[in-house]
Amino acid sequence: MRLSLLVLPLALAATAALAHGPTPQKVSQSITIKASPDAVWKAAGDFAGIGKWHPAIGKAEGSGSKDGGTRTLTFKNGGKLEESLDEYKPEGRTYSYRMGEPNLTALPVSSYSATFTVSPEGDGSKVEWMGRFYRGDTGNEPPENLSDEAGKAAMNAYFSEGLKGLKAAVEGGKSK
Amino acid sequence: MIRPALVALFLAPALAGLPVRAATVYVASQQGAQVTRVEAGAVVGHATVAEAPATVAAGGGSVFLSHPDGHAITVTDAATGVVLRRLPYRGQAFGLAASADGRTLFVADWSGHRVDRLSAADGTVEASAETGRDPAHITLDRAGRLYVADRESHQISVFETERMTRLATISVGTAPFALALSPDERRLYVGNVRSNDLTVIDTQALKPLTTVPVGPMPYGVSVSPDGARVLVTNQQAGTVTVLDAGTLAIAATVGVGRYPEGIVIEDGRAYVANWFSDSVSVLDLATLKEVARLPVAEGPRSLAVAAAAKEILR
Repeated sequence: MRLSLLVLPLALAATAALAHGPTPQKVSQSITIKASPDAVWKAAGDFAGIGKWHPAIGKAEGSGSKDGGTRTLTFKNGGKLEESLDEYKPEGRTYSYRMGEPNLTALPVSSYSATFTVSPEGDGSKVEWMGRFYRGDTGNEPPENLSDEAGKAAMNAYFSEGLKGLKAAVEGGKSK
Repeated sequence: MIRPALVALFLAPALAGLPVRAATVYVASQQGAQVTRVEAGAVVGHATVAEAPATVAAGGGSVFLSHPDGHAITVTDAATGVVLRRLPYRGQAFGLAASADGRTLFVADWSGHRVDRLSAADGTVEASAETGRDPAHITLDRAGRLYVADRESHQISVFETERMTRLATISVGTAPFALALSPDERRLYVGNVRSNDLTVIDTQALKPLTTVPVGPMPYGVSVSPDGARVLVTNQQAGTVTVLDAGTLAIAATVGVGRYPEGIVIEDGRAYVANWFSDSVSVLDLATLKEVARLPVAEGPRSLAVAAAAKEILR
């Protein structure tokens, strides 16, 4: 009995790590920043530089802003994620990346990929951060904290708080 | 050999000046819970269906939709798009394939790690087999063999569908998701989402021939009717890679909408479901250019071609 209680959480964790699931969800956030696209890209185009402006990230380390480059994020809540760049296009001020193994403490999703783009808008810039994710538990009866709704709330908050942090860092000329 | 009587059957409507019905492309929008019908590059109608359809497949005069979160499969009439009935399904239905006569349906149960053979009339499970982990898309050949992309086992499972016994498992790249047969059914092309490549399988030997790079996150595969080109959607890049089937060299990379997923080819055009953009890109196969972008309901992922009425009669 005691043994089976110990084994159960491990079994669930293993399932979550493998599962990808059949029902993707959208996440999309954007913000305008009173600075030139080049100035915004200087801060945002450094893939592992996210630690300097995202309020949820405690530490970020990376292998470079280039195709195939990776970053390891340590969230302030203790969660850790490894992410890798699929395409890095500085000439278009955009990059696309995907997460590696899920970490439900970091974000309650089993998988996500996203694209980050800085473009000119009026005298300043517009930053778009959009992506696709799968809920934390991809089975038919997910618990509330790993449902589509929980994933949407968490991902939208993660992107939106990040963009607010980027805006503050660029407009205020200082890191968070 | 084509018999004169058959030729007459094909030519008769054209000679008599009657309109020949074009094949219809069906597009399933998951978030929008709609099926859109497209003919000759234009939207001709749509129908609301049950919540969150993931995959669409055609067979006989029917079109089928899987509902992974809804324990169900929807059956619609291919000619009109009208919903005919709902088949209950105990598992998490994702990949679908229908027999040519539309009477038998194959369903991949994503979290059940199995594939079922169902009666399309009432959903009765007639036979069932274990697959690898997280079976995604499936495809049926004319001889009755079923190919299953076992996403988290990084392999293709091959079944004979009479008794649902496994003939082979074939190792491919990382996270195979979509697959497509060549028109002569001697090659199976498999898109590997996490290794960003395409595995080519010899279906007679049931062995992999080679694996070639495509773009990031290949989520859809289709082969041109002459077998000369293989088209692959790269979800993470918003592009379609066009490969020469003979050399497997990249002939073109065509920009489409955001997060493209399913792709089908019909009458000289490729149709691509742009999941994030809520649209379908229409590519001209002769010029390899996008010629139209059709708005559809939210979250289009999967497409299927329902044969024209004359082909159903054949």
